[in-house]
Parts: sequence; C-alpha cells; structure tokens
Amino acid sequence: MKRNTLVLGITLLLLAIFAWAGWANWEYRKQAAEKRLATASKAELIPDDSGNAPVYVSPLMNKPAPSFTLENLNGQRVSLASYRGKAVLLNFWATWCGPCKLETPWLVELRNQYASQGFEVLGISTEGDDLAANDKAGWTKDKGAIAAFVEQNHVPYPVLINGDSLSQPYGGLDEMPTSFFVDRNGNVVAAVLGLTSKADIESNIKKALGAGK
Amino acid sequence: MTARTRTLLAIVAALIGLIGYAQFPLSDSPNRSIVRGAAVEYLFPEQVTVPAGKPSPVALHFRIAPGFHINSHKPKEEFLIPTAFSIPADSGVTLKNATYPDGADFTLPLDPGTKLSVYTGEFTIETRLMAERGNHLVQASLRYQACDKNACMPPKTIAVPIDVIGN
Repeated sequence: MKRNTLVLGITLLLLAIFAWAGWANWEYRKQAAEKRLATASKAELIPDDSGNAPVYVSPLMNKPAPSFTLENLNGQRVSLASYRGKAVLLNFWATWCGPCKLETPWLVELRNQYASQGFEVLGISTEGDDLAANDKAGWTKDKGAIAAFVEQNHVPYPVLINGDSLSQPYGGLDEMPTSFFVDRNGNVVAAVLGLTSKADIESNIKKALGAGK
Repeated sequence: MTARTRTLLAIVAALIGLIGYAQFPLSDSPNRSIVRGAAVEYLFPEQVTVPAGKPSPVALHFRIAPGFHINSHKPKEEFLIPTAFSIPADSGVTLKNATYPDGADFTLPLDPGTKLSVYTGEFTIETRLMAERGNHLVQASLRYQACDKNACMPPKTIAVPIDVIGN
C-alpha cells in the first residue's frame, strides 16, 4: 500500500510539472502573440471561415492615417496634412496593375461627384518598387508611364510618386490596388485591398465623409 | 472503486487534459494570416549535363501558386510586365534561345470584356543553353508579375539555380 501511494504520488507530481510547464508555455505564447498583434504594422489577410476571399485587416483601421509628403508628377511636394478637414481616398496603384486600371475611371467619376462635399482622391503610384534610388533613367521612364496613364484617363486628382516609401507605415502594401479611406479628422475609416465594386467604393467614400454610417 | 481512487483518477484526468489543452495552437496568433511570398516556384531541373560549346535544349519547369496568374511572355497590353527568363553574363553558360508557352486567355470577373494572356498552374520554358567546359552553378532568374482575380503583386524576380555541367 505504501509503495502504491509512493508511485501514485510521483506520477501526480510529474503530471503536475508537465501541466505547469505546458500552461506556462501557452501563457508565454499567448502574451507574445498579443504583443505582436498590438505592435504589428503589417496588414493581414485573414481567411474567411465561410470560404470566401480573405478579409483584409489593416492595423490602421480607426487610427490616424500616417502622415507623409510625396512629390507629384510636376515635382511639387504634397502632404496629407494639407487635406485635413476633407475626406480623402488614398489609392495605392501601379501602371502594371490591371485591376488598378479598371477602377480608375470609377475613382475619377466618384471624385468629381463628391468633390463639392469635401472629398479628394490621392493616387499614389508604387511604380518604382524594384528601382534603385539612383536609377534616374528608370524613374524617368516610370514617370512617363504614370503621366501617360493620368492623361489617358483624364485623372483630375493629384497623383503622387514613390508610394513604396510608405509601405511600412501603411501596412506592407503587398498588393495593388490598396485603398485607405480617411475621414475629415484624418482617421482611417475603411481599408480595401484589391478590386472592389464601384458601389463599395462609394459606400466607403460616404463613410469617410461622415454620411454613410 | 473507493472514493479516494476516484478522486485521484479525476486529478490525473484533469492534469492530462490541461497538458493537452496547452499544446493547442493559439487561435488568435498572427500565424493565421496568409503569407503571400513568391507566387512562382522553380521546379526542375536542378542539374543538367550538356555538350560543352554546343547549344543544347533544356526545359525549365515552373509552378504558379493556386489562385494566381502571371502575364505570359507576350501580354496583350503594353503596360503589363512580361514573364522573362535570363542568365547572368560571365556565368559560363549562355542563353542562346528561350521559347515560352503561349498564354491562356483570362478575364477579370469585374472586367469580362478584357482578355489577358496569362500562365497558370505549371508552365515550361524551352531554352537552348550553351555551356563552357566545366561545372557552372548558374543563378539564372525569372522575372514575372503576378495577380489574383482582384489584386496584383509587384513585379518580382526569383532565382533559378541550375547546376550546368559542360562535358
């Protein structure tokens, strides 16, 4: 009887040690995951449980849009801060991106439709993603391609270049088009990765204007 | 079974359950995100032996990740970036010729009127390589630009490592 009790006691002790170690490990991983999520600057694509396309989750949602100053096609510097008080659609795009080309006419129409209510689009080209900073010929060629596209589509809104420099603060920008809808206070109220319908874009514009809630 | 035994068994079961529970992955972990790396993977060959100094056929096999397509070597629109294979100069191996497969027609769901010329799934580039005598670890490359049905990834160049032996 004494021997049985001893064996049982040792077994329980070992199990308790294993359980404690497992629990401590789980807690550690949980805290590490929460910390990573809290500090993540990279957007995520979260699989939809129903099997639909992954949902784009931006860490910028309901947070101030990171400030920036970029050059437009004329070499003038344009900053996001100068649009404070307006609803702004930050549309990251590239000339090599078919879906971007498809949605641009919609953006032009919607921009013209809602401009009087205080809405603006900033088209931000990520054209030079694989260009070296000192590749003058490459940048000139890309600028030309962007300018041709702007002219062809009668784009009335500012088009800025070197959007790749905003990749980190804007969550990676791994795919184009990526759009951020910023309200009049400078907060991101919607973020969309990929081509969506014109109706969806308009709905998000209304949200940014404070009229679509 | 005595009450004491039942209590002990319950404690053992609870501890085992706790150990098991602690081993499950965290459902809220960032690992649930979809990692989108290279959309194209080089499959084979890793090594080829060709007659030295003589252009020889070598078929290079690639695979595109499910759900993605890349522009063919001859996309229908000028603005699209073609798929292109290259070998660095002074690698001991010269790319004499490359024959790309024809692209398949593809339309975006929101733009059914526009046909693109793309590759999906697996594809093969038929090359003619000429190697100098000796063993050459060639870091060839494939440049492509991939999209899914709604979005596009930036142009990318992947390494195509081939051990070319010129006999």
